[in-house]
Parts: sequence; C-alpha cells; structure tokens
Amino acid sequence: MTATMHEFRHSAFVAIEDIQLQSAIEGATHKFGSGRTAALAEVPDVEPMRDHFKKIRSATLSQLATHLETFEKNATAAGTQVHWAATGDDACRIVLDIAQRHGVKLVTKSKSMATEEIHLNQVLSQAGIEPVETDLGEWIIQLAGDPPSHIIAPAIHKTRHQIAEMFTKETGQQVSADDIPGLTELARQTLRQKFLASGMGISGGNIMVAETGSLVLVMNEGNGRLVTSTPPVHVAVVGLEKLAPTWDDAAVWLSLLARSSTGQALTIYTNIITGPARADDADGPQEVHIVILDNGRSKLIGTKYEEVLQCIRCGACLNACPVYREAGGHAYGNPYSGPIGAVIAPLLFGLDKYSGLPHASSLCGACKDVCPARIDLPRMLLELRADEVEQRVLPWWESMTERAAAFGIANPSLFKYGTALVRQLQKPIAKQGSLNLPSKLNPGQARKSPALAKRSFHDIWQSGELDNANGGEQ
Amino acid sequence: MSARDQILSQLKRNEQPAEHPGPWRSRRNFADLAERFTDTLNAGKGEVFRAASYEEALDQIDTILHELQAKRVVVNDTAPLEGMDVKERWPDFEWFTAGKSEGDIKSFCADADVGLSGADAALAETGSVIISSGPGKSRLATLLPPVHLAIVPTSILTSDILTWTAARQGKPGANMVLVSGPSKTADIEQVLAIGVHGPKRFIVVLYDD
Repeated sequence: MTATMHEFRHSAFVAIEDIQLQSAIEGATHKFGSGRTAALAEVPDVEPMRDHFKKIRSATLSQLATHLETFEKNATAAGTQVHWAATGDDACRIVLDIAQRHGVKLVTKSKSMATEEIHLNQVLSQAGIEPVETDLGEWIIQLAGDPPSHIIAPAIHKTRHQIAEMFTKETGQQVSADDIPGLTELARQTLRQKFLASGMGISGGNIMVAETGSLVLVMNEGNGRLVTSTPPVHVAVVGLEKLAPTWDDAAVWLSLLARSSTGQALTIYTNIITGPARADDADGPQEVHIVILDNGRSKLIGTKYEEVLQCIRCGACLNACPVYREAGGHAYGNPYSGPIGAVIAPLLFGLDKYSGLPHASSLCGACKDVCPARIDLPRMLLELRADEVEQRVLPWWESMTERAAAFGIANPSLFKYGTALVRQLQKPIAKQGSLNLPSKLNPGQARKSPALAKRSFHDIWQSGELDNANGGEQ
Repeated sequence: MSARDQILSQLKRNEQPAEHPGPWRSRRNFADLAERFTDTLNAGKGEVFRAASYEEALDQIDTILHELQAKRVVVNDTAPLEGMDVKERWPDFEWFTAGKSEGDIKSFCADADVGLSGADAALAETGSVIISSGPGKSRLATLLPPVHLAIVPTSILTSDILTWTAARQGKPGANMVLVSGPSKTADIEQVLAIGVHGPKRFIVVLYDD
C-alpha cells in the first residue's frame, strides 16, 4: 500500500462519505482526547514534566549507540538473546529462524506496531506457521484482513455487527451483535486455547530499559502477559529508538504514556521482562529474544528528522488531528496513521510512495500541543514538503503550475493579464460561482474551488464605485 | 559487517555530547496512601477490602473464597502467606501451591477458580499492585484464573511509580508486573468490557500491619 497525493485524497473522500466510520472515529478520538486532558490535569507540574521528558528523549537519541550497547550487555547478562535487524526483512528472518528451530506451528501475538511495519504475519504464514493476533482489536482486523486504523484502537472502523458475523464464521458459534460482553467472552475462550497451545509468543515493546536490560510492555487486556508467560519461547520486536537509559527515565515515560494515550494513569498491566525464567522460578518462558529493529531509523539520527524518533506511539496526535478525524487511518496507506504517520511513513518507507502524507495536514499544530514529547511534527511536515520539491517527487505539472503562479503573482501586469486569461478559460467549467473540475483534480467532488469573480477587487476599487457605497465617509 | 556493527557505527557517526537529565522527583504528597490506593483501584473496577490486622485479612479471604464459590485455588508461596499451610487454614478448597505442589502448574491454573498472591509493592496514586516472579511465585497464578485475589500489607504502599523506581534496589526478577485493575478492553465500538484475557475480577485485601 502507498499514499501518494491522489491516493490519499481518494481514500480520504471515501472515508468522509462513510457515515458509520465518521461517527466511530469521532467517538473514539473524542473519548481518548478528553480522557487525555483530564488525566494530565490531575498530575502536579505536568507541563514541566513534559519538558523534562523531552530532554530525556532528546539526550537519549544523542547517545543512542552507547545506550543500546548498555541495554544489550545487561539484557544478555539476564539471559535474553539480543538480535539486531537492519531491515524489516532481516527481522522477519530472525523471528522465523527462532520459530523453525523450535518446530513451532502456532504463534500467539500481542499488539505490536513494529511487527505490522515489517509484515511479520505474512512471512510466518507463508512458512506454514499460524500467527494469531490476541489483542481483541488486532484479532478482529486479522479476521477481516484489514490493516489497523488507529495506533491504539486498531479496529475502530468495524461495527459490532461486522464483528459478530466474523466471530460466528471463525468459531461456528452464534452470538448476538448487541451482546458485547458475549462477544468478548467468545474471544476470551477461543484465544485462551491458542495461548495454551502456542509454541512461541511474539510481542512488541514499549520501552527497553538499558540500566537493567529490561523490556516493558503495557496493555489493558492482559494478552501481552499471556504471550510472554505461557509459551516456552518469547520473541519481542522493538524499534531501536524505544530506549530509556534508566528506570527514573522509564518512570516518567510510563507516567505520560497511558495518560496521553487512553487517559488512564497507567494501563491495567505494566509487564516488565528481564530475561527468561530463572532456574527456580515457578513458571515462565525458557527463552527470551529481543530483536532490535532499525528499518530506516538509524539514518534519521543527526538529521532534521531525528526528533521523530522521540515518539512513544501513544496516539495522542491522531486524536487531536482534524485531518485524521475525517480521513481515518486507512487513508495513510501504512500502519502508522495521523500526524506521526504522515511524518514517519515517508521517512521509513519512501517519500515517493507516501508523497501525499506531508500534505495531509492543515499545520494547525494540535499534534505538537498534545505530544508528550512535544515533537514538532508541523515543522517536519513542512521539511518533507520542501524535500518533495527538491527531490522532484511531485508530478511535473504540479511544480510547473506552482512556478508559473509564483512568477505571475510577483509581477503585477502579468497577474492582471493572467487572471483575465483565466476568466476566459474558466467559462466552460464555471457554474454558479464555482469550478467543475475533473475528479482527478478534485476527488470526491465534495468541495468546489470558487471561480474567479467577473471583476477583480482591484478593478472595482479603481473604478471609484466603492466611494459612493461608503456612505460619504472620507 | 554484522547488522549490529552496521547499526551501531551508523549511530556512532552521529553521536552528540548530551547532558542526560537527572531523575524527576514525584510531586505527590498523599495524606493517606491506603485511602488513595483504595479509592483509585475501586474507581478502576478493582475491589478493595480493608482489614485492621493480618488475622482479619485471612478471615476476609475465607469469606471471599466462599462467596466466589471457589473450588480450585492456586496460591503463590510468598509473603505474607509464605510457608503457611493453606489446606489447614482453608480446608474447603482444592489447593495448588506454586513451587511446592506436585503436578503441572499450567494445567492447574487453566482450570483454577481463583489465584491468590501476595505483593512486592503497591502504588497509591494508580491503585497498582506490583508482583515479581521468583521461587514459589507463579505468573500464571495471577493471570489464568478468572479471579485474582491479592493480600497486601499497607507497609508496602508507596506514593507512585516515580517514588517506586527511586527506591528500587538490586536486580529485577525475570518478570515483574504492575496490576491496576481487572482485564479490560474497549475494542468493540469503544464499549468497555471487563475480563477479556486476564482475570475478570481483581480483589485486594489491604490490611494494616
């Protein structure tokens, strides 16, 4: 999937026409957004705390190699096997190798944006290994074959009726769409069997804590505990930027993460993993692997885009974004949607493929306001637009039009004759003061560009007509 | 060059001197930690029972287990229950003691009605109970049964996650979990549903010690 300008506009207009989707997105983003406001208001000195967190994230990225080496040393000492993956394909191969070495046929997964990013499920399925998503929302979209539509609420685009139908098809059991506890219970029973039968659990990771070599996973459902406790092998795939040097840093991170995300002070479970089960532990996995994923991240360090790696994937910017709230997550054409997706997808997956995303913003700045690390996403959206021009990513006619317009506007007589020409040229497509543009230029036709007025303001001003209309005031 | 060296050398080329900020100290000052813990956890759909003494807490556990009509109970052999003969104290139930009982703990937990645990620490601000793995400390006991019952002395309460990490000592166990309520989801049309994967009820008996 990609999201060029035309693709983004097209999918966004499809989403805007979908009344059910609009009300689902509105409900979820409003709930998360107001929950965030209330949760942060309850914390003493929360604004200086956010400033402090920004400093932590910024200082950590400045010395990331050193911190990653410390993490590796301490995690290895605790018995964790640390792997490094330069690309998504490398990461998939590492995970697949571990699975095949243990003869695993069934894998249970907890929610992970990193594994969505690298399309791990496809790789496992092709190798004959069944990956089962266990976060309720992720399971729903796995059954539907959809990508996630929100970083923390992946199935907001699905209705209870669609979900009931899929659950019945999957389990063979009848369940009423209006019985949401019943749907949840059916998922619990079905997935419980998968947890107990799976030979390997796969998770993402919210924080790697260098000081102790620990991995932190946050969740509400408890599936991330089951995935990391029940099967004999646990593999985590984590982006290399998700690193906190110390537990003091991790505590600030955790103090802001759930509050910014769902409006909770902490998620129901904060699961901290420091190696496999010790010899005398009552239970737990025999092996723990952490795959540190680069996939285009390290090359951003030291550039004007380094700041984007401060992101902790809370989803607050999605909820605040007027464009996301209309367009929905799928229009972004990759697992990362909203303002963070609009910046990170072009950087990780290619500006040419995601050329529409830097324009999927009104630059209102709401994303920066709500970001726990105050990441300046609007600045980077502008930088990406500049890159598009410099790298000639945009279609030739668009930059030609822009150049012609810039030249014309800078030159008064050219502007006068140019607009006079447009007034003539627009006649066939101007109706009732607006232009009927072809759908390629105006997907969805939901809004219309106004036509140029019959006379320019300049013209009317010069004619002196306004003096009379002014009531004699000098 | 290995992927590791390739990634680290790329990062090292762009390393900058940086002053890492010190710890952020908690600004919280709760007058009564037990009260804040109780209010927060109750508001988060957990259930807190207060007891004036350890003996009273054990009596409450007895009442709760009977009210739940529990049959099979798995217990972690940790403070404050460590070394206790649970079969003698509560003879009406079938017990499995982590690290002691014969048999497969996973299959017992999968069919158990209640998991009973102690705690290593508790956070007042967020109503969280912190449980570490270790000898006699099963993770599945607090995860697979539909009810998780924890017995917690008020002396292990600390203000919040910032004060907890500031006081942290030694190396962590293989697993540590902060539990702040029963398992929850809102993935179907944003409607709150309790008990999707983890315990459906999280009950804490908080006693003064």
